[in-house]
Amino acid sequence: MDRSKIRNFSIIAHIDHGKSTLADRLLQRSGAVSERELKAQILDDMDLERERGITIKASAVTVDMECDGETYMFNLIDTPGHVDFHYEVDRALAACDGALLVVDATQGVQAQTVANAYAAVGNNLEIIPVINKIDLPSAAPEDAALEIEHVLGISADHVQFVSAKSGVGIDDLVRAIVKHLPPPKGDPAAPLQALIFDSEYNDYRGVICYVRVMNGTLRKGQKVLLMGRQRTYLVTELGKFRPQMTPCEALAAGETGYLVASIKSLQDVTVGDTVTDALHPAAAALPGYQPPQHMVFCDFYPATGESFDALRDALQRLSLNDASFSFAPQHSEALGPGYRCGFLGLLHMDIVQERLERECGVSVVQTAPSVTYEVVLRDGTLRHVESAGDLPDMGHIEELREPLIEMQVITPADSIGNIMQLAEQRRGEYRKTEYLSPQRVLLTYEFPFNEILYDFYDKLKSITRGYGTMDYRVIGYRASDLVKLDILINGKPVDALSLICHRSKAEHRGRRFLIKLRKEIDRHQFEIRLQAAIGSKIIAAESIKPFRKDVTAKCYGGDVTRKRKLLEKQKEGKKRMKTVGSVDIPQKAFMTVLEPED
Amino acid sequence: MTTPVRALYVHVPFCRTLCGYCDFYSTRFRSDRVAPLVDALLAELRRWSDARPLRFDTLFVGGGTPTTLPADELERLLAALAAFRDPAADVEFTVEANPATLTPARAAALARCGVNRVSLGAQSFEPRELRVLDRRHRPEQVAETVALCRAAGLTRLSLDLIFGVPGQTCESWARSLAAALALDPEHLSCYGLTYEEGTPLTARRDAGRLRPLDDDTEAEQYEYAMDALAAAGRPQYELSNYARPGRECRHNLRYWHNEPYLGLGPSAAGFIDEVRYKNVADTAAYVAAIRAGGSARVEEETLPPERRARETAMLELRLVAGIDRRRFAERYGADPADLFATAIARHTAAGLLEVDERGVRLTRTGRLLANRVMADFV
Ligand SMILES: Nc1nc2c(ncn2[C@@H]2O[C@H](COP(=O)(O)OP(=O)(O)OP(=O)(O)O)[C@@H](O)[C@H]2O)c(=O)[nH]1
Ligand code: SF4
Ligand SMILES: [Mg+2]
Repeated sequence: MDRSKIRNFSIIAHIDHGKSTLADRLLQRSGAVSERELKAQILDDMDLERERGITIKASAVTVDMECDGETYMFNLIDTPGHVDFHYEVDRALAACDGALLVVDATQGVQAQTVANAYAAVGNNLEIIPVINKIDLPSAAPEDAALEIEHVLGISADHVQFVSAKSGVGIDDLVRAIVKHLPPPKGDPAAPLQALIFDSEYNDYRGVICYVRVMNGTLRKGQKVLLMGRQRTYLVTELGKFRPQMTPCEALAAGETGYLVASIKSLQDVTVGDTVTDALHPAAAALPGYQPPQHMVFCDFYPATGESFDALRDALQRLSLNDASFSFAPQHSEALGPGYRCGFLGLLHMDIVQERLERECGVSVVQTAPSVTYEVVLRDGTLRHVESAGDLPDMGHIEELREPLIEMQVITPADSIGNIMQLAEQRRGEYRKTEYLSPQRVLLTYEFPFNEILYDFYDKLKSITRGYGTMDYRVIGYRASDLVKLDILINGKPVDALSLICHRSKAEHRGRRFLIKLRKEIDRHQFEIRLQAAIGSKIIAAESIKPFRKDVTAKCYGGDVTRKRKLLEKQKEGKKRMKTVGSVDIPQKAFMTVLEPED
Repeated sequence: MTTPVRALYVHVPFCRTLCGYCDFYSTRFRSDRVAPLVDALLAELRRWSDARPLRFDTLFVGGGTPTTLPADELERLLAALAAFRDPAADVEFTVEANPATLTPARAAALARCGVNRVSLGAQSFEPRELRVLDRRHRPEQVAETVALCRAAGLTRLSLDLIFGVPGQTCESWARSLAAALALDPEHLSCYGLTYEEGTPLTARRDAGRLRPLDDDTEAEQYEYAMDALAAAGRPQYELSNYARPGRECRHNLRYWHNEPYLGLGPSAAGFIDEVRYKNVADTAAYVAAIRAGGSARVEEETLPPERRARETAMLELRLVAGIDRRRFAERYGADPADLFATAIARHTAAGLLEVDERGVRLTRTGRLLANRVMADFV
């Protein structure tokens, strides 16, 4: 195909502003899906995506689009909006020449709009602002357009007004894409350089690489070299997502598609690697990507009645599909053998845990997530620690450092006071304020990461009447007065419950935690003493009285089935417990640390 | 040749007024519903008797309150049931009654039909507690009803009592137990008050209009019953039941041994040929189904042998005698001490269970915490 007729672009936006719905409309207009096949957010094809109504994984699709009598090839990538999956956006942008920046006309520019727009600018992409949801009565399309110009410095000249729901404005949008987004550069005759911008595991085909050919031509049957890994493969299948996988013979410079080459495991490909011809390799690889950073860590232990082997197999199986989490064996004194896992964020952690249970049928006990701390030992060595349990003896520690983030919050101006208060509670440091309009501001703060990890977003939502949005990135480490807070059950410290926190918060934290823990742990036959301690100093204590009676009074002929089922449920509930000493601790208790502070 | 059915339960779904804690299927008594119900019960019975031999040696008519039925209809029902008694056996034939529903005419009808055991819902002898439980009778009426039964020749009596009632003290519980014993029943059932889902009592608690009795007091009351009744010659034989030795309720023992029985009537369950079934819990629907010649069943459950064995273990653990190892091994081909080895080890260590040559049973502490133990057996 004539390269001037190709357009490669991503659809980016704040969460829920309508990217996937816009993709639906483009697919529909191209005729790639029939009316019958059409369902909302057709590219969100994972069960979890459909259930949660969000995009988790970027999807690429190729369509033939008619515009003013000519046929164009659109390669579009629908991206996720959630902050955990920023790296997916970054990867997608590197494979594109342009981007549609979608903004919800009822919401205006939001925190992830800013973050994603900057990412597109950073990749030198041409951007078309798309103001969406203009069908809604509360839409303020002109205001949104002004904000884009004002806040992001993106010219509103080519702004498009659409309703992805009703289809209004889609024809004009297509025309704008043809007119304002550049066709791909690159030379089909040059040595092959194709960027692997994503990969996916398929039970039948093995690894499927999503590729964007930058230079040269990729052919079926070609012997290729992955330049980073220095491994060669034979291309057994090439094709395009239309949106079903549709094989083709070749992908030329400027085109996007997939490659299958009997690659067994996701671990064998690095996303960002360059594919070149094994016999006539390109002189240099493409720039590639930074590997995604694991922001939070937690441990998974097999729940009572599950085996360690089953957990290991399940993690291995999941990692075939999701190369963005890490796992390494870990041993807890209280919980036995398990895995330390690293995630892109809390949502990602939730998703992995849910998939373990749903797709692999393994229930796990999960510890509270932690960020990575830096420990400088007295002898000068630097260590990274992802959980309080791994901290070396305090006597050996010279300095503890915590990760810092820069956060941008967009909020109605009348909530500034509330936000300042919240920031103070969370040890935040104010950086600057920019007015998006007289009513809305963009605030920049620095926070210790651990202060915003759990409930910050919910808090922000509640103090801004739901209008506030946030985005953040890690900017470095800072020495801080951190302590290890130990939790003791019947006098015995439980490593999986200990946590690292700022000294000024330890006492309050410990007290609140014990109160919550007391509610989570059922009464036992004996009294249970709960204590919080820093070193050898007990800073809080609670106790759980023993229970006396748990017996079903009546069980006659008509009750047998129901009573049996109740007991079976009680037994199931026990499965989600871990026995520490002789105390049964429910899975939830390990996560209790997370719950809101106040 | 199918083996004869030996046990029968019949559910009469009427009460004069409905008690707030009760979750049995029952509706307020309506005279126009009586004849159709009795017709349907008899039709259901006939259908069974056409299909297989019935030779009952335990019969139990419960509810609801069977003695709300007018004497003639009551007699029509009981006489029909009595026809299927085993002539060669020492039959136990129980009818449930509430104080003040049992008139001399009804008592005479019971006696004429061969009923020999009456289970009376006394619940408490304290007016305040009876009110909390929505029971409309006065304490004295229990003694009157007992006297009336004895006069009619119904000498085997059981009294139901409830502890753990909001506001009940250990003293008032002791008074009720003493008042019950003064009437010299051969059998007593003492139930800890249970907040069943969907009952008015539970709604009142959830709305904060009623404060449940604390756990410690209830445990003390339970233990007091074990001691006081044993001292009075009626030792505990099941988690909630006490009797003079040899006077245990044979019908109920069948449930706890997970033995077959036939169930008739709306909401009644039965257990025949390894199938546990349950009839629809709606009188009109039940009558209509039976009339139309169809089935009134709404649930059926067949368990794989191992799960059935586990269910039996759970039920037999309710008995003070516990699981009889030899009998269990004969029925299910496995010694319970092996089948439940982990659970047994755990709970014997905690002092909740004991095992010897003959059986596996709860200890006294274990009886207070029975659910914890049983959850590891199901
Ligand atoms: N009224 C109206 N609703 C829309 C429009 N576009 C999208 N929506 C709705 O907005 C919600 C979010 O749409 P999605 O397409 O899933 O948004 P998204 O940007 O892909 O969301 P993430 O992938 O989770 O970031 C859905 O309920 C859509 O039906 C529109 O033009 N008008
Ligand atoms: S009398 Fe018995 S069956 Fe009737 S409502 Fe009261 S407790 Fe339930
Ligand atoms: Mg989406």
